[in-house]
Amino acid sequence: MADTLLQGLPVSALRSAAPLLLVLLGECLTQRVGRINLGVEGQMLVGAVAGYGVTALSGQPWLGMAAGAAAGALLSAVYALLTVAARADQFASGLAVLMLGYGVSAYAGSGLVGLRIEGFALGAGGTTPTLWLAVALVPLIGLWLYGTRTGLVWRSVGESPAAARAAGITPWKVIVAGITAGGVLSGLGGAALSIDHTRTWAEGMTAGRGLIAVGLVIVARWNPWLTLPAALLFGLAEALSLRLQAAGSAVPAHLLHTLPYLASLAVFAVTCARLKGGGGPEALRAVFAR
Amino acid sequence: MNAASLHRSAIALGGFAALAGAFFLLIGRGPIDMLVAIAQASVGSGYAVGESLLRATPILLCALATLVPARLGLVSVGAEGQLYFGALAGTGAMLLAPSSLPLVLLGGVIGGAVWALVPALLRVVADVNETISTLMLNYVAALLVTWLVYGPWKNPQSQGWPASIDFAEAARLPLLGESRVHAGLLMALVLGIALHLLFTRSRWGLVLDVLRSNPRLAPLAGLSVTRQVLLTMVVGGALAGLAGIAETSSVQGRLQASFANGAGLSGFLVAWLAGNRVLPAMVLALLVGGLLAAGDELQMMTSVPSSAVLVVQGLMFVAMLGAGAWKKGGASG
Repeated sequence: MADTLLQGLPVSALRSAAPLLLVLLGECLTQRVGRINLGVEGQMLVGAVAGYGVTALSGQPWLGMAAGAAAGALLSAVYALLTVAARADQFASGLAVLMLGYGVSAYAGSGLVGLRIEGFALGAGGTTPTLWLAVALVPLIGLWLYGTRTGLVWRSVGESPAAARAAGITPWKVIVAGITAGGVLSGLGGAALSIDHTRTWAEGMTAGRGLIAVGLVIVARWNPWLTLPAALLFGLAEALSLRLQAAGSAVPAHLLHTLPYLASLAVFAVTCARLKGGGGPEALRAVFAR
Repeated sequence: MNAASLHRSAIALGGFAALAGAFFLLIGRGPIDMLVAIAQASVGSGYAVGESLLRATPILLCALATLVPARLGLVSVGAEGQLYFGALAGTGAMLLAPSSLPLVLLGGVIGGAVWALVPALLRVVADVNETISTLMLNYVAALLVTWLVYGPWKNPQSQGWPASIDFAEAARLPLLGESRVHAGLLMALVLGIALHLLFTRSRWGLVLDVLRSNPRLAPLAGLSVTRQVLLTMVVGGALAGLAGIAETSSVQGRLQASFANGAGLSGFLVAWLAGNRVLPAMVLALLVGGLLAAGDELQMMTSVPSSAVLVVQGLMFVAMLGAGAWKKGGASG
């Protein structure tokens, strides 16, 4: 039993983690510019349904990925309008976007339920293209954020919009860019989930992955490099719960499915206890401060 | 209602009508026809009003569950999970004492409170942000209910349908008159009024206002933030737990999986849009309840899927949030 449980586990964990990793990178950028977007869950859902629908229609999974990214970006524009243009509350705006995304994806996907698609061909060792995409984005975004001038501009807006403005930066443009980057990446994450990971569409299929990403960004300390281990933690818990279930574990499936949430929460709690609210972009403190 | 909030409501309503109208055009329906149909399906008949009140009840309780911790400045998004755990614990009480309604209700209330106590303790002990922890615990609570109704608590007589055994008549929350509206609505209204009075008239309301506006003042005034965090979270959890057990022990009469229909999240938005004040939250909860009830009705009358009404609900919240900040933006230039 131990053999079947552990064989190929790293790849399974990575495959489970890849959609989440994309969302996590996006939310990392969004939080870097000082916004906590709970709407990523909804953005992921519209990305999943758009990606799945386009792949089913065209037979081109990469076209589906592009459609997913576009759908995520489009929905994130609603969040940007609410929080930047109308200065509405971040959490409430995020939940409104989540609901809207849930509704839109359920409506658009009603004809896709139960349909199956070809998706991507598997690579060496059971790896998939979206896995490589997600993993490759980690160093790209990490190097960009810490090594380029634009990266510095984004970080400075997240630290202090006022200081950034004094330095000749227009904060709201950077904030909108950060929200849009989050929209593109969460849409991609959703598409990776439906096109590559599950190869099917079901209403509400993201099952809280977007919301978990919001918490795991804090575990990853807003550092793109650390998003990989954070996402792997969830992927490992999910892969293990599926394998235990397949191996006929005595623990019922629904209880096993709580594992990824509990593991994420546990690591989140430990991180919070150690950080005591510090370590993040300064502008986020205003959100959490009370 | 003063001029500013009247102005804001007009913007919200106009914005909502425009957004919803555009959506209906997009899916090939006449916007005016659809808006009229929604209005009819939510308040057009005695039956429709009853269904609207039925949908509004858990949303109102969850809104109250959100706004009690929010009076302290806490952003709890956990009403959904507390609702599920309340239903779970109340059903557990029913299995132990099959014909005691008070015990069933008590179980629900305690269950909700316990589920809220977890993030509250995490918050005071380890400084864990309650927004994130409550969000994750929502999924855990829903999965626990799913596990029980598919597994240990599954009614063997229900032929594959995952649900607990039926609540005995003596353990069921009474319905009001001939409708499907249950006594939970009256409890929600009474509790809402009581909370309103507590927040506006009592020392506790004052303490919460002081702590929310300046937590650093607390030790100087001899107040314990820790105690208030635990208290407000537990009171909120108890209210959401009541929502869960009220639905389970009345209309449905048995515990089922995913019965909440997002009442917790709707409740959060209702509380937030009401500025965490009780009376506006009551009005908004009725509005949202009516809209969602119309969704079920519309599916039958006009063959529009009920997911379209989820879109309309989302658009309504977007319009309200946008309009709410409109005034704020205008005031500050």
